Amino acid sequence: MTQAEIKLCSLLLQEHFGEIVEKIGVHLIRTGSQPLRVIAHDTGTSLDQVKKALCVLIQHNLVIYQVHKRGVVEYEAQCSRVLRMLRYPRYIYTAKTLYSDTGELIVEELLLNGKMTMSAVVKKVADRLTETMEDGKTMDYAEVSNTFMRLADTHFVQRCPWVPATENSDPGPLPPAPILVISEKDMYLVPKLSLIGKGKRRRSSDEDATGEPKAKRSKHSTDNKEPIPDDGIYWQANLDRFHQHFRDQAIVSAVANRMDQFTFQTQTSSEIVRTMLRMSEITTPSAAPFTQPLSSNEIFRSLPVGYNISKQVLDQYLTLLADDPLEFVGKSGDSGGGMYVINLHKALGSLATATLESVVQERFGSRCARIFRLVLQKKHLEQKQVEDFAMIPAKEAKDMLYKMLSGNFISLQEIPKTPDHAPSRTFYLYTVNILSAARMLLHRCYKSIANLIERRQFETKENKRLLEKSQRVEAIIASMQATGAEEAQLQEIEEMITAPERQQLETLKRNVNKLDASEIQVDETIFLLESYIESTMKRQ
Amino acid sequence: MADVKVKVQPPDADPVEIENRIIELCHQFPHGITDQVIQNEMPHIEAQQRAVAINRLLSMGQLDLLRSNTGLLYRIKDSQNAGKMKGSDNQEKLVYQIIEDAGNKGIWSRDIRYKSNLPLTEINKILKNLESKKLIKAVKSVAVSSFLFPSPKCALYMFCSEYVSRSYCSSSYASSYAFEHLYVKTQCRVLFIIGEETVIFLAQNCYFRRLLNFTEEGGKALWTFYCLKTLQKVELSMEDIETILNTLIYDGKVEMTIIAAKEGTVGSVDGHMKLYRAVNPIIPPTGLVRAPCGLCPVFDDCHEGGEISPSNCIYMTEWLEF
Repeated sequence: MTQAEIKLCSLLLQEHFGEIVEKIGVHLIRTGSQPLRVIAHDTGTSLDQVKKALCVLIQHNLVIYQVHKRGVVEYEAQCSRVLRMLRYPRYIYTAKTLYSDTGELIVEELLLNGKMTMSAVVKKVADRLTETMEDGKTMDYAEVSNTFMRLADTHFVQRCPWVPATENSDPGPLPPAPILVISEKDMYLVPKLSLIGKGKRRRSSDEDATGEPKAKRSKHSTDNKEPIPDDGIYWQANLDRFHQHFRDQAIVSAVANRMDQFTFQTQTSSEIVRTMLRMSEITTPSAAPFTQPLSSNEIFRSLPVGYNISKQVLDQYLTLLADDPLEFVGKSGDSGGGMYVINLHKALGSLATATLESVVQERFGSRCARIFRLVLQKKHLEQKQVEDFAMIPAKEAKDMLYKMLSGNFISLQEIPKTPDHAPSRTFYLYTVNILSAARMLLHRCYKSIANLIERRQFETKENKRLLEKSQRVEAIIASMQATGAEEAQLQEIEEMITAPERQQLETLKRNVNKLDASEIQVDETIFLLESYIESTMKRQ
Repeated sequence: MADVKVKVQPPDADPVEIENRIIELCHQFPHGITDQVIQNEMPHIEAQQRAVAINRLLSMGQLDLLRSNTGLLYRIKDSQNAGKMKGSDNQEKLVYQIIEDAGNKGIWSRDIRYKSNLPLTEINKILKNLESKKLIKAVKSVAVSSFLFPSPKCALYMFCSEYVSRSYCSSSYASSYAFEHLYVKTQCRVLFIIGEETVIFLAQNCYFRRLLNFTEEGGKALWTFYCLKTLQKVELSMEDIETILNTLIYDGKVEMTIIAAKEGTVGSVDGHMKLYRAVNPIIPPTGLVRAPCGLCPVFDDCHEGGEISPSNCIYMTEWLEF
């Protein structure tokens, strides 16, 4: 793990879970697999605290455990999983666009709690939704369960591995750590629960204190003691599926940008590609370089309802997509009206390359971007050839090439003419190694996000006094409103915060939001680069 | 008294007068006049006087002697050039003639030597003289200076007042030589700008081929379009247009495909045709460059607690104030 990644993980853990968890987590990331006692010893924290911290980390799928020989259990932190915490807002937003508010809250609850049983999720979400609804309306459990089942069907949530029930209860000593298994077919199996009920509105205790009869209150308490029907079946969010969705979105928008500029019909090519990707969602594993071949007839039948283009037009579009220089879609056969695949690896490569080009353009200028694209296309070029092809004067071209060389976007390949490698008798060729440039850029992204988070924390710390004051004032106002104060008194309290202070608060809020949004934007770049690197490594 | 043969001295026998008459005649016939024509014009002049006059004019450099199918032709020489060559001796004139004949493309010094049969040292001296008089100039040819052995000695010599042909229309040429440098550079730039706009203009407004918008305009059609649109004195070939289109491809604004085409259709070469169309980039500017850290020049020096740190980063402060 690079320094930048460790720094970022430490910031994230601290923000979400606190100091102690951060200390343990970072120690595990730095040193790899460790047993419990060693962790306690090295970090200097008490065994109790280490256990609690590990509990938190395991609950959130950030640490896994393994039993080694001689019965030692070792804990290992997963750095990449910690970095996913940056992407939580994006997951929640995706769920919202696909399954509206209910889906959004389900995914949010699952992400915030790591693992939960279905009934617990449903209950909590129903309660939350009920609060936001108008008075008198409540959210039915059944609706929430439906959404949950749809999420499971499309694989956005999955079951956590569990302890297999052993037929013969082994009288011998229990293993030091339970071994969790899960089978593929069980992963998305929703248990048959009859969750009946409605969301409960959390009313302020003062109003209810006198109203509620005692009998009802005792019933409430007994409700909590009933055994939960699906105890032991825990669910977690399936991050891979979300990543697949993001990848599909990126491909569709790339096709839209490239192909749908001037057509009369809006977005036809991107719709076709989106349909093809949707059809391959479940059938193709996420790491495959190509989707399954789809016949043109199937695609025609699966087009969204209301999108009436004739079969002929569809065929023409498919041919055009297959012939396009982008090479996202390929033709793999002629049966069934033409079999088409989507070339996922190539698509990710193009997106990563486009990211690199965009960074070069913004950082060094459009002429540098021209040189960069030229070297990308021609693979290896001499300095003289670069000048000629790009039509840029020699001095400037040299300057730009060296700038990019020191920024590690371009590398030099030496081809000696003589065995003694004399510089005057060696060819020096410029070339772009996309994989290493992508890695370099990824590292820079991690450091950038760490910088942004630090700046955000700094800004908040600077204005801590002001924030505390405003919080106190709000608390006072809320309590006074509850006890029924007059308008004049409320006004007086509000004026405790002066106008410039109010403005300062506004600025602070705006800055924090901006920094937050920027973190999410950089995370988008991280996603593209990471997907490309992963896909390339799998192919090798 | 012996019989003295008196030759009637015809009037206008003054040699200068004869020369002037001949020059007038030459002006009348700019393509050149034969001996016959002169004879017809001035029948009273003897052949010998005529020859003397013509020789004088030739040696003064006001007449050109050319050979044609019918015999010898005398042509008036460019007065401008005539002035230039004053003071140069025959050898220089010869070398200059050879270079002039090579036209736009210029000629190697080696070739000059072969054609004039002069020794190398002489040639070099003459070339230096001519260069200092600004009648010729040396050009480093792009096509020849290969990346293996760029040899400064292999310089090309070109006739100065001719416009430069495309093969020298390259970066090295454009930047290293003062004469015509500005012209060529502007030319390229103008073509470039026009090229970009034209291509995008064409792609946006053209008829659609099949369903989507591949323009039918291959290189050739664009070429005609240029020649109509711009006020060029130099004609650019297909290759020039293709080079400029390539730079547009490297800018990411244009993409190219090759399709099979019948021989004989406009713009097809060897059975295939290149089509160009304008494109948009496939992703918007990426997230990293929207944060100040993505473009920061001191990124590597930045760490918490140092001189440059995220807490006191001035770029971030500026960016937050937007």
